[in-house]
Amino acid sequence: MTSKDLVLESAADRTTRFERDALVFTNQLYAAALRYTKNPEDARDLVQDTYLKAFASFHQFEEGTNLRAWLYRVLTTTFINTYRKGQRQPQIAHNELEDWQVAESQSHTSDQGKSAEQEALENLPDSDIKRALQEIPEEFRIVVYLADVEGFSYKEIAEIVGAPAGTVMSRLHRGRKQLRTKLATYAKELGYNTDAPAAKSTEKGDKS
Amino acid sequence: MSFIEIQCGDVLASVVFIIEGEFQEIPQADAIQSHIGTCGACAAEIEHEKLMHQMLQDVLKRSCDEQAPEDLHESIHRQLRAQMAGGASTEVVTQFSMTEISIEIDEFGNVEHREIQIEQTHIQHFSDDED
Repeated sequence: MTSKDLVLESAADRTTRFERDALVFTNQLYAAALRYTKNPEDARDLVQDTYLKAFASFHQFEEGTNLRAWLYRVLTTTFINTYRKGQRQPQIAHNELEDWQVAESQSHTSDQGKSAEQEALENLPDSDIKRALQEIPEEFRIVVYLADVEGFSYKEIAEIVGAPAGTVMSRLHRGRKQLRTKLATYAKELGYNTDAPAAKSTEKGDKS
Repeated sequence: MSFIEIQCGDVLASVVFIIEGEFQEIPQADAIQSHIGTCGACAAEIEHEKLMHQMLQDVLKRSCDEQAPEDLHESIHRQLRAQMAGGASTEVVTQFSMTEISIEIDEFGNVEHREIQIEQTHIQHFSDDED
């Protein structure tokens, strides 16, 4: 009976430790899950599944390493493996690594364009920000979210999403560009006069 | 000029690394840095990009701060406890296997060979959670 009690004791201890250390991230994970799945029901299920999976492999987690990053890895992997299957995502180009730099704008933004873009960002409502995030491809959305909302470094993101760091950097760059282009478009609809960042590439710069 | 000539386009293509504070990851980082030092337009562009990045982060953080529904916390807690109880149970598996072999040889020398395999598995669960 004693050895059995010992096992039970440590399982209970482990659960308590897990609850104490991991459950503080429930709100954060839920907000991320909302961005991933785009709806509250799936977000709820995803967070629940994430915690159960994380708990099941909690013994593999090395204490002292980044628990939050680890939870985001479980969340992201679970989402990609399970929840995404139902939804068909537009695939991003395979040559993303090769052409992302040359494809980018080669010229400077005008001062007028700069201030208009700032004004637009300052004035757009939260609903538009979220809409823009939802409209960019999933691969971009996840890395932009992890970097710009959660503050993970691109190397941490590479671990979380299981992609090479260079790919993450490329997605981050293109994702942010697409997001800004969308926001500029919304701002235009609201009457702010902005040049969408994507339009820059057509005006040939004086310097380059 | 003796050093590598850097175009404004090369600088602009490296902006993401500069914003991420990963200058060392840029090929020709030194040449790019010295270009920024002398090209007002590029310096202004990078300033603008940094500012926009900061603003974008601010609006994203402000917009994406939903709280999980109250009952989700409770439901996770309950399921974790259930999983813990499940994980601490004892499983006793009893496997039984028997092979019956019979060989018959008749008066003409024909051999008949028969094998019958009988298998049985019995699994019993004991929960350690019971008082």
